[in-house]
Amino acid sequence: MATVSLKKLTKSYGPVAVVQGIDLEVADREFIALVGPSGCGKSTTLRMIAGLEDISDGLIEIGGRKVNDLPPRSRNISMVFQSYALYPHMTVRENLGFSLKIAGAEKEEMDRRVAEASSILGLDQLLDRRPSQLSGGQRQRVAMGRAIVRDPDVFLFDEPLSNLDAKLRTQMRTEIKKLHAKVQSTVIYVTHDQVEAMTLADRIVIMRDGFIEQVGTPDEVFRRPQTRFVAGFIGSPPMNLHEAAVDDGQLLFQSGERLPLPSQFKANVATGDKVVFGLRPDDIYPTGHGISSGEDADVHQMELPVTVTEPLGNETLVFAEFNGSDWVSRMLNPKPLKAGDRVKMSLDLSQAHLFSAETGKTLRG
Amino acid sequence: MKGWRPSPPLLLLLPAVIVLAAVVVLPLLLSLYSSFTPFRLTKPETLWVFIGARNYVNLLTNGDFWIAFARTVVLLTVALNLEMLIGLGLALLVEKASRGQRILRTIMMFPMMFSPILVGFQFKFMFNDNIGLVNNALQALGLTDRAIPWLIDGNLAFIAILTAEIWSSTSVFAILILAGLLAMPREPVEAARVDGCTPWQTFRYVTWPFIMPFAFIAMTIRSLDVARAYDIVKIMTDGGPAGRTELVWTLVARTAYSDARMGLANAMAYFSILLSILFTVYFYRKLAAARTQIAAEW
Repeated sequence: MATVSLKKLTKSYGPVAVVQGIDLEVADREFIALVGPSGCGKSTTLRMIAGLEDISDGLIEIGGRKVNDLPPRSRNISMVFQSYALYPHMTVRENLGFSLKIAGAEKEEMDRRVAEASSILGLDQLLDRRPSQLSGGQRQRVAMGRAIVRDPDVFLFDEPLSNLDAKLRTQMRTEIKKLHAKVQSTVIYVTHDQVEAMTLADRIVIMRDGFIEQVGTPDEVFRRPQTRFVAGFIGSPPMNLHEAAVDDGQLLFQSGERLPLPSQFKANVATGDKVVFGLRPDDIYPTGHGISSGEDADVHQMELPVTVTEPLGNETLVFAEFNGSDWVSRMLNPKPLKAGDRVKMSLDLSQAHLFSAETGKTLRG
Repeated sequence: MKGWRPSPPLLLLLPAVIVLAAVVVLPLLLSLYSSFTPFRLTKPETLWVFIGARNYVNLLTNGDFWIAFARTVVLLTVALNLEMLIGLGLALLVEKASRGQRILRTIMMFPMMFSPILVGFQFKFMFNDNIGLVNNALQALGLTDRAIPWLIDGNLAFIAILTAEIWSSTSVFAILILAGLLAMPREPVEAARVDGCTPWQTFRYVTWPFIMPFAFIAMTIRSLDVARAYDIVKIMTDGGPAGRTELVWTLVARTAYSDARMGLANAMAYFSILLSILFTVYFYRKLAAARTQIAAEW
């Protein structure tokens, strides 16, 4: 159990900076997800914490101890890799016990801890098999077991579910969550899948181009994205984002169409400002087929032509044309619609987001 | 015309079968047969005298043959182990090189580009007791003031031959092991580092099991090479002095062509091939086991 803190952490390969001086404090027993598109530096950050990559500049502390120059083995961490990285020539039992064997543990102690980990992960039947005889999900469980056995200060996960099929991924996600509840240790989890990050993490760190865009709870990053990038990255289907200009208390879109300026932003913008207007699919719905955000709701009604519908059973994603492009809306209790239908839409502007077109930062006060 | 007609596949294969029979099977059978005759090149009619296993009995009771045989086995064992160690070391070093790896790989192959005959001449010159580079260097460094008889003393000559052999062929090991290292996934090594392994432990428990099959392939190839070692020895010492560096194949060649006792030479050759087959089977077994261990998909 330990805290992890990164101070001005930097990694560059020659002139190319991959991680550009990030600061992060991870609390004891916290589950932190690093998320971002590929190439954003999240894996590199994790590998620096693990000690598998050298640090170009900055400071890493684990449990208050500076570990910049310590080799991985002296950091008391364990890591689960995307490709499982099991030792192919060892049985599951040997894989699990390997770190203890290296540390020179007693036979009984080793057996006890391997048995403990294998019962937590349901590996009892597989202990004498080799990795090549296991399925992807089983291999991933062994990889996690190998991490648990060490009883480390910090668990590092590097896209552990990326190689699994969709169904198994959902299942393993739940298992990881249960596991964290059980072993109660600090976890740093790298993923490019925002759903994984949202479902698992206590706090999410969204990275882009080597910088941290926002750190916050899943609720914060979803409801109060600090930047246009975060707004577009978190949430599925993604937020509708469109450039507009502020014009006399209204938003003027490129096509000449207008929307009222959401009241919560009135104080922060002036006529002539270039902004990006954002509205989640949940907050735009065919009238009567959505959930109102309650008393604060500031609903604007307009009629839009439907271009495509994607029925999902319990809901339908309706693509409607506004400002020359498709806006995604979520239709609950769906009724059949077809392309070309004109539908009355409700836009809940109290839930809208505005970002500066220039800096991409939120214009919320 | 009616009657038996061979099927088209058989007919089409026939030319190949005939050629192979003419250049491989017949000579093989003929040489096998001749090992049961007292055939001498100078007396062709002796080819038709059948003497049963007398040649084999002769050679199995012949001390010179056994000594040459044993010397070959010793050369094989020592050369393979040293080449393995040096090759492994080279491969690990080259793999670490972050730039210029391709040029290093090419340079590593240089010794293999020379004909063994030339290697033999070169080392014969280098180990020459009067004008050789080795003695010159040793004397210049003040390590000795006398001319060490490298190619004259039996044991020293053996070391000289071993040196030439290792110099010319270590790259077989280096290249194959390097191929293994490059093909190896990176993650298990990283996992081992995180799991608490020192660099040595990482090598011992993770890297080595991975590259073992590659080492065994090199072993198999090289064991056949060394077991039929002839050219370097022929040039450097010609089995001498007084037979003190005689190997199986220099002995076979001497018996066949200098003494013209083709029958006996063939018997020796057939017996020696057993040695090669044994080594090959042994290394193939090891290779198969190692491959299963790392669950290789090739």
